[in-house]
Amino acid sequence: MTIFNLYIFDRNGTCLYYTEWNRRNQSGISKEEEFKLMYGMILSIKSFCSRLSPTDLKDGFLSYRTSKYKLHFYETASGLKFILNTDINAGNMRDNIQQIYSNIYVENVIKNPECKLGQQITSELFQTKLDDYIRSLPQFATKLS
Amino acid sequence: MSRQIGRSVDPKKVSGELFTLTYGALVSQLIKDYENEDDVNKQLDKMGYNIGVRLIEDFLARSNVGRCHDFRETADVISKVGFKMFLGITPVVTNWSPAGDEFSLLLENNPLTDFVELPDGHSNLSYSNIMCGVLRGALEMVQLDVDVRFEQDQLKGDNITEIRLKFIKRLEDAVPVGED
Amino acid sequence: MPRMEVEKTFSYPLELTLKNYNDQIVVGFGQRDGIKVGHAVLGINGIAAQGRSLEDGRDVLEVIANEENYPLAIKFGRNKLSTNERLVLTGMFHSLFAIGSQLSPETRSSGIELIETDVFKLHCMQTLTGIKFIVVTDIRQVGVESLLKKLYEVYADYALKNPFYSIDMPIRCDLFDINLQSAIEQSERTGISNV
Repeated sequence: MTIFNLYIFDRNGTCLYYTEWNRRNQSGISKEEEFKLMYGMILSIKSFCSRLSPTDLKDGFLSYRTSKYKLHFYETASGLKFILNTDINAGNMRDNIQQIYSNIYVENVIKNPECKLGQQITSELFQTKLDDYIRSLPQFATKLS
Repeated sequence: MSRQIGRSVDPKKVSGELFTLTYGALVSQLIKDYENEDDVNKQLDKMGYNIGVRLIEDFLARSNVGRCHDFRETADVISKVGFKMFLGITPVVTNWSPAGDEFSLLLENNPLTDFVELPDGHSNLSYSNIMCGVLRGALEMVQLDVDVRFEQDQLKGDNITEIRLKFIKRLEDAVPVGED
Repeated sequence: MPRMEVEKTFSYPLELTLKNYNDQIVVGFGQRDGIKVGHAVLGINGIAAQGRSLEDGRDVLEVIANEENYPLAIKFGRNKLSTNERLVLTGMFHSLFAIGSQLSPETRSSGIELIETDVFKLHCMQTLTGIKFIVVTDIRQVGVESLLKKLYEVYADYALKNPFYSIDMPIRCDLFDINLQSAIEQSERTGISNV
């Protein structure tokens, strides 16, 4: 089991934070373009799901899986979007992402007046806390290659 | 609210009185700095707005409240969850407009105005205007464009403090060209 | 699955905010008696709505905005997908599938095989020849992989082996439809896990 990477987008599509752990494949485009592609895909997939759904959605799109990875999506009512990629065996990561939001993002970014909203997160405290949290998860356990 | 004796020993909590005094000092300094009281109101609203856009995240993270799909639901959440969480009071939601797009919050006891006596000649000042800004900023972050203002204020001799909220529109998510 | 439709008589002003979305008048904000955000206006006073206008030619939003027309009986419900919209959605999935593969953090990933939401799951199987089989199910449905394999067999047997079927064209073969239906029914009988 492993965790590959994490994207945090604000409601305007700005990538507030990106970090990776065991990523082994790059998309072959610049990071800026990759962020745009990821954000655009998430918007399309959300719209796709709400149009396709036979009944009313509550949370809407939650995750997708390919043969090699699983993308977990969590959106707050304020439009903040968290995207966490894990291997396909990771179960539901919703609670974990919620933890990142409420205990790490809100505590270290929102309550830190130095962090300007809508701009990239540069706080070292945030980065360390996030890194510690992810590495402590049972899903992280790095596989040796 | 104002005379709590056995204060909780939670080190993260500050005394409500200290908060009220701090706010009072802030407002009176603003009055000294600006000649026009409309400008003071504007500044308070601006500060509130900046607090609101941050506070909403704390609120969402702690309250586990989902997105509201109805203004009545929004009103309930503001009063019973929002005000309760941050100010320890639960304003009454009332005076709905026929179209259901406007309502009032009635505050019997406004914690910001404990110890405050408004001297004469401040009829334009909206002392607690920061609240309007907070509400406006927080709601804007959940895609609700809302007009917020004080309708009545106990500081000005009214029987009750009334905040009026008017729904203007829903702010749709920013989406790239070609999507809707 | 039953189609949700609610008809309610309203007096002026309407307590719901409506918006124009994909040529449909849908509820943007406000909920009442089973009418939810995202539901479309299906009819007014018994006259069916087609997109933005009623069958008698009047504009839905104009009728609703005019106080003189009240009280109004408005029917709301989830909009059923038209063939055209289905094609649009298929096209959308096609690109999502490709982007999903491009954004993979791991090497040599396929495209999207499974999408999960809180009310449905979408399974996709792509054959080596590039044909995609897509099934939308209830979130509790299991055994969809075997259904997809079965559908591939049905496709091979009743579409491809039919000499009158031309490749890459929409399938219009009765035998295919019949066997497709029975494969789905069998999967429904056996596949819902008893939670």
